[in-house]
Amino acid sequence: MTEQIPAVEFRHVDKHFGKLHVLRDINLSIMPGEVVVVIGPSGSGKSTLCRTVNRLETIDSGEIYIHGELLPEEGKALAAMRSKVGMVFQSFNLFAHKTVLDNVTMGPTQVLGVKKKEAEEQAMALLARVGVADQAKKVPAQLSGGQQQRVAIARSLAMRPEVMLFDEPTSALDPEMINEVLDVIVELAREGMTMMVVTHEMGFARRVADRVLFMADGVILEEATPDEFFSNPKTDRAREFLDSIAGH
Amino acid sequence: MRFIELLSTYGDMYVEAAFATWWMTAVSFIGAMILGLMVTVMRVCPIKPLRVVGDFYVQVFRNIPGISMLILVAYALPYLGLVLDWVPCVLVSAILICSAFASENFMSGINTVGVGQIEAARSLGLTFTQMMRLVIIPQALRSVVPPMTNLLIATMLTTAIASQVPVTPPELTGVVSYINTRMPYGVLAFIVPAATYLCTSLLIGYVGNKIDQRVRILR
Amino acid sequence: MSAPAVKPIRDSLYEQPGPKTRRRIVVATGIAAVLVLIGIALIIRQFYITGQLDPKYWLLFTRWTTWKFLLTGFMGTLKSAFVAGVLALAGGLILMWGRLSKITPVRWVARAITEFFRGVPSLLFVYFFFIVMPTVGIKMDSFWMITLPAAMSAAGACAEVFRAGVNAVPAGQVEAAKSLGMSKTKTMLLIQLPQAIRFVVPTLISQLVIVVKDTTLAYVVSYADLLQNGRVLIANYDALVSVYLVIAIIYIVLNYLINKASVAIANRSGVKLIDVSKVSS
Repeated sequence: MTEQIPAVEFRHVDKHFGKLHVLRDINLSIMPGEVVVVIGPSGSGKSTLCRTVNRLETIDSGEIYIHGELLPEEGKALAAMRSKVGMVFQSFNLFAHKTVLDNVTMGPTQVLGVKKKEAEEQAMALLARVGVADQAKKVPAQLSGGQQQRVAIARSLAMRPEVMLFDEPTSALDPEMINEVLDVIVELAREGMTMMVVTHEMGFARRVADRVLFMADGVILEEATPDEFFSNPKTDRAREFLDSIAGH
Repeated sequence: MRFIELLSTYGDMYVEAAFATWWMTAVSFIGAMILGLMVTVMRVCPIKPLRVVGDFYVQVFRNIPGISMLILVAYALPYLGLVLDWVPCVLVSAILICSAFASENFMSGINTVGVGQIEAARSLGLTFTQMMRLVIIPQALRSVVPPMTNLLIATMLTTAIASQVPVTPPELTGVVSYINTRMPYGVLAFIVPAATYLCTSLLIGYVGNKIDQRVRILR
Repeated sequence: MSAPAVKPIRDSLYEQPGPKTRRRIVVATGIAAVLVLIGIALIIRQFYITGQLDPKYWLLFTRWTTWKFLLTGFMGTLKSAFVAGVLALAGGLILMWGRLSKITPVRWVARAITEFFRGVPSLLFVYFFFIVMPTVGIKMDSFWMITLPAAMSAAGACAEVFRAGVNAVPAGQVEAAKSLGMSKTKTMLLIQLPQAIRFVVPTLISQLVIVVKDTTLAYVVSYADLLQNGRVLIANYDALVSVYLVIAIIYIVLNYLINKASVAIANRSGVKLIDVSKVSS
């Protein structure tokens, strides 16, 4: 186990937004197959942490490694690295002018050089897997939020990613649609996908996480198994946070 | 009766005038699109001086009145050693002004895409060029149809400045004064050009609307 | 989530550059800066070798009388623009009202007039008042020959702006008014219009640019506006390039400020500018 190379590794990562110190000396390893759930109050830096992994956010100092390779800073190398890291956004971000099917095939055909027909077959299989195969010919605006987010997951999966990042995937959804998306993510976790998930859904965190990170003010304050964290948080900040959401 | 007399005497002239307006509109619009595109590339590129020049260009030419522009091109430029024929003067003026508006339209087209889709494209591993080609430009072009339709109409109206310089044959606005200085037809002389302008703008508006309905992106 | 203030899209097109890209941008910026400077230098040189930098063309701008004369013209421009603006507002309101009327012929007429005002160049309207009207025995003051066309063109645009504004008022508001037993006219006056005005104020201000541009058509009818007074200066000083250039700059700055104001008000009141774009002639 100690010999294994982490899928994602942060070493002494720091980041500022102007005067705001959003990430403070982050050290973190995510092992292949591991599911890490990041929680914390808003403004804690958890989304930023997630977004630094594929360099949607740059870092000021420190290093990020993906499967032992330093995250490239630019150019083709960065694009190639990103193609191996799936990302699912809070606001879905489907390409508005493309059909659902074309959204899913764009990555494989344009980046991986997969033949169109093959990519479409694969895309249909993925869409069936997330339960929206019947929507393939529609454009994103014709779908519900939950359906759009499932398409977005399929779009990422089509790249056969080694790691998946989820940046608050259900925060923009109506309550009745949250579960249909979470179920897909849980299923992925069961299949052994390496994942980093930023979320406010505590029940889901408990169900899916191998490890829970609690962040506040740019620092990872706690790192524990879900059972440990939810039943017995060590810091006051974490206790306050859990109390505040238990109230809802 | 006088109307028929007017048409029989000056009918050919009206037709010529209409064609003059139409072709000047077409050339100005195409020129404005090309120049506007170039200015837009300057305005979105990461090289600061080009951006500043692009922004400055747009502010100057979207705010200068057409007549003022034409006067500078037609009467001031010769003093600076650049003499253009009358028609090119009109075209240059119209192109400069309309390209500024075209660039503004392109910019707002790019704005409709949104940061989210840009990040999604990046996350898939698309390169900058692929992102522009597959995500940004197609969406920007499709959302820009209604404002560009308006711009085409506006370009036509702008070509009316040609009536201020001796252009032969006169275009639709110039023809009114041409005819009225020869024969006082009064309102009649005015009606034909006005109707031609109106019908052309309605037609442009109609076609633009049809195109927009076909390519519009649901959001 | 904790991202800083939203960047304009044109910055979001590029990611934070890596070291290689940064170097390339620095080099390109240097080259571009030099090219821009060379361009400016070439323009100035052209002015110089054609003798346009001669002090005699520019010293007139150090005289108070020059500015006083231009200012008189500028006031003429503002006066015409102001009156045209007021007329356009009133005309736009009437046309909008007509287009929302229950009576079909009224709707049609309003629609036709709106399209006519929007689809015909203001210059043609100027010619109508300048050349055509006198042939039927109606002679107008040059102020009206320039102000009315400007007002007509702008009224067409204003009608569209108002209509967009009224349509932007949530349907629930109208239903609520109806359920209170308000008549259609009352609903319009008390509920729809006041709210619509909030939506349209920034756009209406931006339309003022078009009115200002249209007033330059005074050139045709010899009404003493900025441009026309500029011509008189040119005749007196034989300084065409410098005078026309200065006047163009004044128009550009004026219109720029109007645009700025409309955007500032739009941002402050959180409403969007409505696109009824029409460039002026």
